[in-house]
Order: sequence, then C-alpha cells, then structure tokens
Amino acid sequence: MRSGSPHADDADWVRRRLGGRSGRAFWRGLEELSEAPEFKRLLAAEFPSLAQSPADFARRDILKCLGASLALAGLAGCSEDLSHSVPYVEAPETIIPGRPKYYATAALMGGYAQPVLGETHVGRPTKLEGNPDHPACLGATDAFTQAALLGLYDPDRSRSPRYMGRPTAWSGLDAMLVSQATRLDATAGQGFCLLTGATSSPTMGRQLNLLMRRWPQARWYIHEPVSEESRIEAARLVFGRRLEQRLHLDRAEVVVCLDDDVMGPGPKQTYHARGWTKRRQSAQRGEGSCAIWMAEPTPSLTGVMAGRRIIARPDRISTLAAALAARLGMSSEPAPPLGEEERRWIESAAAALDAHRGQCLVAVGSQHAPAVQALGLFINAKLGNIGATLVLAEPSLLQPPDEAATFQDLVQRMKAGEVSSLTILDCNPAYTAPADLDFTGAAERVEMRFHSGLYFDETAALCQWHAPLQHDLETWSDARAVNGLATILQPLIGFSFGGRSRHVMLQNCLGDVFAEARAVVVETWREFWNDAFDEHWNSALVAGFVPDSAPAEIAVQPIVDTAPAVARAARGEGLTVVVKPDPTIWDGRFANLAWLQELPKPLTKVTWDNVILVSPALAEELHIETGNEVRLEVPGRSVAGPAWVMPGQEPRTVTVFLGYGRGPIGRVMEGAGYDAYRIRTVADPWQSGGAGLTRTSKVWQLASTQLHFALEGRDMVRFVPAGDARVDGRHSKKRKVGETRKETIYPVQHYESPSWGLSIDTDLCIGCNACVVACVAENNIPMVGKEQVAMGREMFWLRVDRYYQGPPENPKTVFQPVPCMHCEKAPCEMGCPVNATTHSPDGLNQQVYNRCIGTRTCSSYCPYKVRRFNWFDLTGSDPPEIQALRNPDVTVRDRGVMEKCTYCVQRIRSAEIQAKIDGRPIRDGEIQTACQQACPTSAIVFGDVMDPETVVSRRKTSSRDYSLLEEVNTWPRTTYLARIEDEPPDGGSEKG
Amino acid sequence: MPQIFTASADTKLRVVVLLLGVGTVGAFLLGGGYVDSAYVTRVGWPRHQPVPFSHKHHVGDDGIDCRYCHDKVEVSSEAGLPPTQTCMTCHSHLYTGAPVLAPVRQSFASGEPIRWNRSAKVPDYVFFNHAIHINRGVPCVTCHGRVDQMALTFQAQPFQMQWCLDCHRNPAPHLRPPEMVTRMDWSDWDPEAHKDFGRLAVMAFGIDPKRLDACTVCHR
Amino acid sequence: MTQDVSIRTASSHSRYAEITQEVVGIPLNYPRWRNWWIAFGIALALLLLFFISAGVLFWRGVGIWGLNIPVNWGIAISNYVWWLGIGHAGTLISAMLLLLNQPWRNALNRFAEAMTLFAVTCAGLYPILHLGRPWRFYWMAPYPSTMNIWPQFRSPLTWDFFAVLTYLTVSVLFWYIGTVPDLAASRDRAKTRFWQVFYGLLALGWRGSAIHWARWRQVYRLTAAIAVPLVVSVHSEISLLFAAGPLPGWNSTVFPPYFVLGAAFSGFAVVSMIAIVLRHAFHLQNLVTVQHLDLLAKLLLATGLMTAYGYVIEIYATYYGGERYELETLWDRFTGAYAFSYWGAIVCNFLPLQLLWLRGARTSPLLLFLISLSVAVGMWFERYMLIVTGLYKDYLPSSWGLYDVSVWEWTLYAGTMGVFFVPFLLLVRFLPMISAFEIKETFYESQTKDRPSVVRPDAERTSGHA
Repeated sequence: MRSGSPHADDADWVRRRLGGRSGRAFWRGLEELSEAPEFKRLLAAEFPSLAQSPADFARRDILKCLGASLALAGLAGCSEDLSHSVPYVEAPETIIPGRPKYYATAALMGGYAQPVLGETHVGRPTKLEGNPDHPACLGATDAFTQAALLGLYDPDRSRSPRYMGRPTAWSGLDAMLVSQATRLDATAGQGFCLLTGATSSPTMGRQLNLLMRRWPQARWYIHEPVSEESRIEAARLVFGRRLEQRLHLDRAEVVVCLDDDVMGPGPKQTYHARGWTKRRQSAQRGEGSCAIWMAEPTPSLTGVMAGRRIIARPDRISTLAAALAARLGMSSEPAPPLGEEERRWIESAAAALDAHRGQCLVAVGSQHAPAVQALGLFINAKLGNIGATLVLAEPSLLQPPDEAATFQDLVQRMKAGEVSSLTILDCNPAYTAPADLDFTGAAERVEMRFHSGLYFDETAALCQWHAPLQHDLETWSDARAVNGLATILQPLIGFSFGGRSRHVMLQNCLGDVFAEARAVVVETWREFWNDAFDEHWNSALVAGFVPDSAPAEIAVQPIVDTAPAVARAARGEGLTVVVKPDPTIWDGRFANLAWLQELPKPLTKVTWDNVILVSPALAEELHIETGNEVRLEVPGRSVAGPAWVMPGQEPRTVTVFLGYGRGPIGRVMEGAGYDAYRIRTVADPWQSGGAGLTRTSKVWQLASTQLHFALEGRDMVRFVPAGDARVDGRHSKKRKVGETRKETIYPVQHYESPSWGLSIDTDLCIGCNACVVACVAENNIPMVGKEQVAMGREMFWLRVDRYYQGPPENPKTVFQPVPCMHCEKAPCEMGCPVNATTHSPDGLNQQVYNRCIGTRTCSSYCPYKVRRFNWFDLTGSDPPEIQALRNPDVTVRDRGVMEKCTYCVQRIRSAEIQAKIDGRPIRDGEIQTACQQACPTSAIVFGDVMDPETVVSRRKTSSRDYSLLEEVNTWPRTTYLARIEDEPPDGGSEKG
Repeated sequence: MPQIFTASADTKLRVVVLLLGVGTVGAFLLGGGYVDSAYVTRVGWPRHQPVPFSHKHHVGDDGIDCRYCHDKVEVSSEAGLPPTQTCMTCHSHLYTGAPVLAPVRQSFASGEPIRWNRSAKVPDYVFFNHAIHINRGVPCVTCHGRVDQMALTFQAQPFQMQWCLDCHRNPAPHLRPPEMVTRMDWSDWDPEAHKDFGRLAVMAFGIDPKRLDACTVCHR
Repeated sequence: MTQDVSIRTASSHSRYAEITQEVVGIPLNYPRWRNWWIAFGIALALLLLFFISAGVLFWRGVGIWGLNIPVNWGIAISNYVWWLGIGHAGTLISAMLLLLNQPWRNALNRFAEAMTLFAVTCAGLYPILHLGRPWRFYWMAPYPSTMNIWPQFRSPLTWDFFAVLTYLTVSVLFWYIGTVPDLAASRDRAKTRFWQVFYGLLALGWRGSAIHWARWRQVYRLTAAIAVPLVVSVHSEISLLFAAGPLPGWNSTVFPPYFVLGAAFSGFAVVSMIAIVLRHAFHLQNLVTVQHLDLLAKLLLATGLMTAYGYVIEIYATYYGGERYELETLWDRFTGAYAFSYWGAIVCNFLPLQLLWLRGARTSPLLLFLISLSVAVGMWFERYMLIVTGLYKDYLPSSWGLYDVSVWEWTLYAGTMGVFFVPFLLLVRFLPMISAFEIKETFYESQTKDRPSVVRPDAERTSGHA
C-alpha cells in the first residue's frame, strides 16, 4: 500500500481489525466490525474517493476495504479473539453452529459443470468435495475444482459496476441497459451482438432463445480459447451431424492415443481418470488388460501412463492415423512410409486393437484437424467401439443457431462496422483472441461495448461499461456435466460479493432489471417438469443433479464407408510450435488464484511461471539451459519466455503454454510468465511450423519445487513385471505388515484398532495434483510466493515427486505423492526437545503447533523431508476474504512453528466423536483424508491398519506393497504399491 | 595503608549475597504464583454483561434446564448461546417492562444481536467439543461450576492444560449418569457409594484414558 | 633468552614484586591507551552489529536467513559448535594442566579461562537466536508448568541446554576463584578509593592468610576437577545433535571423540593467537616465554594430528561399512556443491600445521599466529561442512536443495565477535590477565626446588620432554 494514500491507514485499520489468527473464532463475532463506527466512516469515505483516484491504485486499496465491507455479513469475526460471543436474534432452524452443512452444487469449467458438495460453516463455504453420487466424478475432483473455492473468495474480483473504468452505481448501468433494450426493440436487435464463453446451461439456452426471438437481427457468438468444437466438427464429418463424444475408458482394454491427452488437465480429466481407474484396477486383478499406446510430440500425463510411447512430430500424427487405418485394412490407399520405430509401434497397436474390437479406443487430439480426428472416429466405428467405449450424443454445450456464427465472423463484422453494440458475458477475448484477429482493434469500431465478468480484466478495460459477475458458487444457475447430466447450481455462501448472476445479466440486457437469479432458473425447470416441478426441484438440489437429464446416447453409422483421406502435412522447415493450455491456470482464467499459481506443474514442477519446452537435443544445439530466456519466432510474430529442457520432448518441437503474461488485473497474477496468445493464429491455433528459436541474454529465475529429477538408481519408486502383479489384493500370497522391519533399540509399541495408515498406489497415480490442492484447502496451508518457493520454502504438506528413468530422449516418468509417513519409529519425535511432535496411541505422528518452539530438529532428522516451517508470519496479513475461507477445524499456524501432514486428524477426531455418540465403531471408509477424497484415480486409501478387513490393510498385504526408505527402519504407516510394468521395461526398471 | 573496608564488610557482603539468592528464588516463585493466580485464569471474576443475566435466578430459583437455552450442547461442539427469540418466549409475558431487559427487547425489535462478554473461554488452538462430554456424562457443573448459585456468571475453573489432563488421564471419578448431566448439586453423590459407577461407565463406553491424552484430541 | 638471564640476575625478592607489578600494573596504570581504544571501538561496533542483527531477526523471523527445507540449520548451528569448541581449550589448559601439575600453564591460564567464558557465551546465544519462537526458549528447561509437560529427554537438544548451562557456570566459577588473590593484589595497589572498593569487593576480603590459601587451593582444584570432565562430556553431547539424526554423514559413532578433539584443536589455536597478541601488546615476553609458545605449538600439533586421524577414520569407516547413502554423502563432500568447505577444512587445518614439526616455527610468534589463524578458519569450515553436506542431500533426490548464507547470518556471526571481544578487552583493561601469584609460586619453586619450570635456562629441553 503506497504511503500518503488517503486510504492507506484506513485499509491498515481494516487489516488490523481483521487480523485475527483464528479461523475458528471467525463466526463468533458476527456484526462486530460492522458496528464499529470507524468502519462505517471508512466505507462511506471509500466510495466517493473511488472516482477521483486513478483506477489501478484505487483498485488495490479499495478491494481491501470492499473486501472488508462484506464484514457486514459477518467477516468481522476474524477481528477479535474469543472475548465476545454473539448469538442469533432468531436462530435459523437448519444451522447448528459448530457443525458443517453440505450443499450439492457445481463449479464451472469450460462450460461444463464439475459436480461438488460444498462444506459450509454458518453460511461460509470452506471446502469443495466431489459429489459422490454423481456418476461423472463419483466424489473425485480435479485441481481446478478444488481451487474454485478460492476463486469465490478472491479479493481482487470486481465488486462494483464501472463506467469508463470508474466505479459507479448499478442504477446507472440498469438505465443504460433499459434504454438500449428499448432501442433494440425498435430495430429488431440490428447490430447487437452477444459474445459468451462456452456454456451448457439450459437456462442460458432458454434465455438466448428468448433473446433471439425478440431481436431476430441480433447475433450470439461463442469464444472459448480451449474448445471442444473441432471434436464435434469431426463427428459431423463422419456421422453427418454434430455429436459429442463421451469416452468410456472403463470399457477400453486398449487405448491408442494419437497426441490426445485424455487424462490430462481439463474439464473431462476427472471423468476420464475415473473410467481409466476402473479398468486399471480390474487389470491389476488380472481381469483383462489396460494398456495405452501414445504417440505425442511433448510429454503429457496420459503419455506418462502409456506403456508404449513414441515421440512423434505433430505433423506425423495424421500419417500415423492413416497408417493405422491402412494396417487395419480400413483404407483403400496404401500405407504411408513410416520410420522403423513408428512401424513397430503401429504394428503392435493395430494388433492390440484388432484383438480387442469393441473393447478398444482410438483417440485423436482435438488440436488436430477435424479430418484427422474423423479418421480416428471412422476407425473406432469400424472396430465396433461406437456405443461401447465411445458413446455419441447431442452436444451438451450450446451452439449458436447459425453455424456461420464463429468468433472470426464476429470480429470481421466488428471491423466492417456492422456491430453497433457488443455485450461480452463471462469471456475475455481481449486477452484470449488469436493475435492475428486483432480483436482489440476491431472493438474500437463498436460504439457501445459492455463487459460482464468476474474480474475487471483486459476486455473490461476495452469497454465503456463493466459489471461484476457472481461466481458459480455464489449464485443460482445450471449446467451439464461432461456426461450430460444437468446440475442445478445453488449459492453456497451466505453473503454476496456484490455481483450479479449471468442469468440476471442477460435478463437485464433484455430490459428486465428486476430479474432475480433463482426465479430465472426455476422458470427453466418449471418448463422442464411442468406440474411435477415441486417434487423434482428439491430432490434435484439435494442430489446435486437432475436424473436422466443427459442427452440420450445416439446410435449412428458412418456416412462414409471408406476412411476419410487426411491431408498429410508436408514436413515444414524450422521448428514446430505446440500450444497447450497451462496445466494449472488453464487458459488464464485462474491466473489470480494463488493455489494454482503456486501449484507445481505436473511435469516440470515449475510454479508461478509458464515455460517454453525444448528438447535436450535442441537445447544442446542452441546452447540453451533451463532458465535461459529464448525468443520464439513464428511467421509474423514472436514471444520470449524462459526455456525448460524437457526430457521426452520431440527434438524439433517447442511447446508453449497459455494463460500467463497478464497485466495487473489481480495482485496474484501480476508479472508472471509470458503471453503465448501473442503467437496464436486463427488458422492453426494449436500448432504451427516454420518457427525459429533464439537465445537472448536474459535469464529467468524459475521457482521449481523439485531440483533433482533422476532416480539416482535408488528405489523410491519400484516396478513389478505385469506377470507378478496379477496376484494382488486379497488373492495375493499374504504378507504380514512390516515383515521387512529391522531391529530397533526403542521399545516396540503395540497398537490396537483403530490405528491409522495410508496406502498409495503408484500404479494408479497420474500426477494430476488434485490431492495437493485439496490438502491446501482442507488444512489452511498458506501460499508463499515465487521468491520463497525458489528458496525452497513452499508449504505443501503433500508433494507429488516426479522422477525420470532411462535416456533423456525418451525416459520413463513416474509420479510419487509424498505425505508424512507417520513413522512408528519417527526420528522427528526423538529430536524434538519440547514434546511438540509425539506419537498418538492410534499411530499418528502428531504435530502440536502451540507447543513448537521452532528448533527444526524434527525436519533435520526427517529422512523424507515432509515437514514445513513457517519462516515468516505467513497468515497474519491475509485479507478478510482469505480468512473467511479457512477451515475452522484446523489451527492457523503462526510464525516460527513447524507443520506437516496430519492425516487430516481433524476429520479423524470428529468421526471418532460422532461414532462414540452413536455408540458404534468407525466404519471403514468413513474417514477419508482430503487427498484421498479428491483423488480421481483412487490411488490413495486411508484406514485402520490394525483391522485386517479394511481396504488399506488388504492393500498393505499385497505383494506390491513397500515402504519408502525401508533401510532407514522408520516403520512408516504410509506405504506404497509398486508400479506395474505394462511392457518389458525399456528404461531398465528397479527391483520390484 | 588505611583500611578500605570496615570490619563488618565481610558480614555485609555475605548478607547481600544471601539476599540475592533468596531474591532469585522468590522471583521464580512469584512468577509461578502469578501464572496460577485467579487474576490470570480469571476464575471467579464476573464480567460485565449488557444484561445482568442471573443464572442463579433462572437455574437455581426457576429450575430451568441448561438445555432450554444452550440447546445445541448435545449435538454440536459448541453449546451455543440462546437467540434473543428464546429470551422473549418468556419475557414477552414476564417482566415485560423491566428496564434491565431493555437491551433484550431492543435486540428483538431491531434484529441487532446482544453482544455478551464471554466468561468461559479456551485458547483458539484448543478444540473443545461439548457434545462428546455431555454424551459421556461429564456434568456441566464440572467445568462451569455451580452456575445455579451465580448471580453474575464467572469462569469457575482455571481451564489450564493440567486441569483438563486430570480428567482425561483418569476420567472415571468425573463421570455421572449422562441423563443427569445438567444436574448442579452432586453433594448427595457419595464417592464411596458410587465408587464403581465411574469404573463401569468407563467400561461401558469403552473409554480408554491412554487415547484420551493424545495431543491431537484437543490440538489440531 | 635474554629475559631468562635478566630473571636470574635479578634478586629473587625484588623479582616477586616485579612480577606482581608487571601483571597487576597493567590494569592499574594502563600502558597502551590508544591501541586499546581502537580495539575496543571496533569491538563495540561489532557488538552493535550483533544487536541490530538479532533485533531484525526477532522482528521478522528466521526467514531472513538463507535457510530452507532441507537445509534448515545453517551457520547458526555451525558457529554454535565452533564457539563452544574454542571455549574448551581454556578449560583444558588451565584446569587439566593444573591437575597435572604443569606449572608452565600459569602464564596462560587466566586469559585462557576468560576466553572460555566469552566463547561459551557466544555459543550459548546461538541456540536461542536460531529458534522459530525464541521467546519460548524456556520450554527447554524442566520446570513444573501448568501444561503438565516436561522436556523430551531423549532429545540431544534438551541435553545441550543443560550442557551449555553447566559449562558456563563452572567456567565462571573456576575463572573467578582463580582471580581472587590477584584481585586482592590489585586492591592493595589501587591508588584511588573507587578502584580500591571495586577490587576490594571482588576480592571478597582476601587477606592471603594461610587458611585462605589452604581453602582457596582446595576449592580451586576441586572446581578444576569438575571442569575437566565437562570438556569431554559437553562436546560429546553437542556431537549427538548430529550423530543422533538418521542422516547419512551424521549418524556415526565417530562423532563424540572427533568433536572433542576438534574442539581442543581449535581452542588451542585461539589461545595461541591471544597469547601472542597480548604478549606482544604488553611486552610480557618474560612471562609468556618462547617456551610457552613452543609448548602450545606442540599441543596444537598433537590435537591437530588426532583430528586428522578422526578424518581418516571417518572415511575408512564409511568405506568399510559400504552403506550406499553414506558413501554417496562422503563422495559428495569431496566433489559436491559444498566441496569447498571440505577441502577448506583439510587445507587450513592440516597443511600449515605440519610446519610445527620444526622448532623454528614453534618458537616464531608470527608463524605460530598465522598457523593458529588458519586452524581457526579450518575448523569453522569443518563445522559448516558437517552440517550443510549432511542436510542438503539426504535420501530422496526430490527433496535435495541448496543453501546460501544470507547477509543477516554473516552480520550476526560478525556480531558475536563483538560479544566476545568487548568483555574480553574490558577484562584486559581492568583485571589482571595473567595470574601473578601463580607465576610467583612457580618462580619461587624454581628458586628452591629442582623442578622444570619456565624460568630455568634449560627449561626448553626439560619442559620439551615434560
């Protein structure tokens, strides 16, 4: 906060008042701060001051105060310790202070609903869990969904309407919209264009129909930087109609991926990972196989799990597809010439596919031309996979009525001056539009520009009018999950951050300024259910989805009977550039969420920046080292960013990631990474040839959480040949837990049930990071920022280690989540002089923050280095929103104390208490750690290790079970299951 | 050479040294005493309240059960303070004009809650759960004292860790029949006669003191 | 040899007075005002630096240091070990040699003890400074708390706490008891009333009666007898701080002896340095004689060689054990990111040391000073190496990380120099820094009985073999 600002000391005052440590104390003092006269004065003082102070500076001060303003709804509790207690005046029947309530709703991602249960404490959501009853996720979530909660509380979100960048009252906006509506009524909507992001909301559909009917001349366009459009287009080529593809990986024993990262980050990750896990687990039991063939230019999560991976230049994918078709005898034309490795790969893949007709899948990446994807679909059809492993259905995502209405079309019309009024809803084209479209320039030609979104972002800055949108978790709406099931979104939070729902916004555009979100949504579903509305509405809200609402599966035959010919891209000169959405902040929409910024990228472990991936060979050729800035030239434009030497990268391919290099829209995103959109073109948004790479003199300081990637021939991660793994779980030769233990000089304690332990299956872990973010959300883990991460001071209690094995050209990659091992013979406990870390009778290695004096001996002695230290006061100056977000059941740690994974002991204890009150033992699976609950592949299992019948105990008797660093003889309660080799090890595997 | 010191110098020196020693020891004892004193633990110090609510009158004289007002105590970690509503159930008929009740009426009218001063509190790193204690038959009086005799409410116990541990390490003598937890006066409960109640209760509930003094039972 | 001659020619009676005058005279009418003020000024500046560094540390937290996970102990801990090590030599020289009736010690013991005192003070500060919550350090002490919690007695740190405290107390006692008679002497020679009272109070009414001497001798030797084993126990205990950890490069039984010897080694080095400086500064050549330097040098050589043996054994044991992680850590010390500290230790500790085989080097104040200096530096490297190479690469490659010493760590280290020198200089200024009466005693004995002693012309040979 700059000194001398009239708001400076005010904001400080707010921070002081709100600077309380305790999340638990949070709700106890409702209305406290709102009563303070200083605060009323402060708020009053803030708003007029908005106008004259320059937007950027003002924003920062104001957001703090506005953030504080929601203290009116109860944030005040953060302010003081426990010295007051303030009861309700009239107690709401449903709320029991001290006990969380769960509401089923969904977070949105790329237009799709990610079904969740929101844990709320007196109207304050503190954690999102997957909706266990929802078939699309079965209780799991991805990292984005976990972080959506932070998005809701983000202090940098836009909080008030603006005209010409200056905050104004809603009334002004309403007046403008009404007058516009009346004008458009006169001209039947002539020149009015609406631009939205991808959406699957039935209500949105209904409203848009209304809009179209009322203003026939109006146009609606969709712009989604990472869209499913090409997949749908591909389906049209093969089946003659626009269809959505749903992969059933649970039925696919053989999956051949042509540069398709099916299990990579994105809206469908959870769904696909869930299916794959089901298959993988059967395969582990010896029921069928679960093998992945992958051909890709740059490493992906799916590629990591693939038993047979070859590196292929992007322009080879079409060739490989054609070769596959030819080899399977589906194409008339002769097989294209292949390299030796490619040929062997195609041979084996084709053979496997042939052997598993109806139980296999060919997947082509959506970044490839529809024709190539079409060929993939054709092969699937011929293999009889349609309806089995690949289900086709009406698209869940809404489509503009006329096919021509593409984003390019919109920009052309804007340039041509045919657009008089542009309304942009929940979409940020000024940042995400392809560079060669020059959206910004085109926007100048539009006289009336209105933007409505979560942030006052690049697009908002382009528009005269801006209105804050409500977050998905803050309002009423609806959307479809990736499997088509509709979910009705309901607000989790008891107070609003001052925006309006997108439905209300749309109604306002139609001139209805009194619209109310719930009413708009209810209307949609009244039409759907008619008289039966009342009985369905509540049950749908409770269940978290509308049963049987998914677009029905459609059985179709290819309209073509020979494989569609694919244009074989001739090898271009120079390098090929591959553009990918960022694995943690996606297309940039999550750029202001510290949880995702600091989240290590699955394959590079880099935080707070995006990098340019170059292959070891290319790096050597151009003398590039990781961290060197390189300038990437594509015809007509260029971008400079930090290089990262990526093992397993195609030698002549360079990979860039979207979502970074944004301006000061938010405090978090400011100045991180480079902007890859600047080299993205309409023609080929995902890959382009003829690029050049030069090294500049600059060096970026990258903050990576893992500096050393080689296994060093150590056996942290173990492999077993597929054959040996066939025997598993209960069927395995029983193995006593801890039979590998050596002598110890300390007395051996005997544990009674319940006594807790964890098992992590490295054969299932796809390194998606969902567990890490879930842990952060559950345990109030602070984010420390780039500099501290670079110093090795990140605070994650759970980290996902990533190791390479074999040649850097194409190594085997393995993931290993590492929480606290909760050693029975814990060195840390021996080291602590003040009994701050001790062992509980139920086998937990306990860390008592309020006893810790910070000698750090425990961490020095920890062979796994899983302990984290509060080097500074990391939580004291958090804005009120972030304090409101905290889990009231977990202590917020102070400066100078050690912390670490507790097996989510707060969950264990509350389950114990509930079980005792009910007079029953704790059921297996009743307690889930946050990481386990989020994990989309069920790699993590927690439970009572003293009861032989629990899932975790059965896992620990598996022949694949091993302890990390057995030789140190710490007797860990967290153990691992060895990874199963699908193929004869081509990296030289470790001993199983 | 003239004498530097008088003959008594040695004695004086010895006295000074002695005093220093005594002083040091005394300082430590004082410090310890202060930490343990009611001044720090706030035991027996009524706090000013917006309304001079008398537990003595409501519990002692009127015999209202604790759970009538603190109604979440059996199900929630927090006993909960009664909403103004609850006060008004009676006070819309009784003492309707009493000046001391003005804040209550005003709160009910305006919707502004009454801000009570907390008289029993534990630090925020201590996670105390009312429900389990009530369900296991730890009577209210054990921690909150004879509120039925408190005209003004004050903290009855020091709430120091050692005090909690006394019970957690040996719960048996502190247990009572769960259905009678709100009973205030246990003077007729002859420890000898009910010696085995605690023992049986511990067995019946499967309470294991060994598990009760694990750090994470209270600190998370 | 000139001073020997002078001593013999001097009549013994006047010689006693001379010695006393020479020693006690320094504080009473101080010869070297300018140099002292310069030195004291620098020391004060360093002390100020210490308070600043500590202040910032308490205000912002240990985050201002370069520490991280895995390397969450840095030079704070290595300096702690280093300072404590230096302290040990003082006790060794004065107490052990007293018990062994090595009279030549008398010229050195007083300031050696003082050195111990302030070195241990510096050492004692570090464990508190490096805490995350220093204001809670007293939780390491066993006292009946309202939390019903006691220290965790399996932890080496708990014993550190006792060890350092005990050691400090005993050192203070030993030093003070030893000074009493000289304080009395200063009292009797003091000119002004103030100084008479000042020394008088400290002298505890010492009159030098036979009973006084008898009692004093008892107490002094008894304290010495307590102090000597402490040297061994304390530093052995410090070594457990590392040996008890399961980390490769730490978890080794060699550590206790290794640490004790290293401690004596570095301590003797510093004693020699101080002896040489004082000797030069105050022209004490005929009290701190060449023979003293020679003996010190021999001690230095001996302990140095033992330390070297420790190094060899460590390498041998590692290879003999053949445990892979140990081997990798050892190899990493030779070649890894912190190899400089290992080779720095080897070079500074042992190469110059070899000169001491030559008598010329042993008796040349300048050479001995430089060699000692190099040893002090070398031992600092060793402590640093032991801690950092143990931590920065342990078992899981994923958690390996590097450590860079931050500015605030350096300033704090420099600051502790101030903590050491300020009181030391005050001592030099205001208290007898060499034990006059013991020198006299020695001299007397040398006059009467036929025993090897400093002031005999053949001293160098006999004491050489002594």
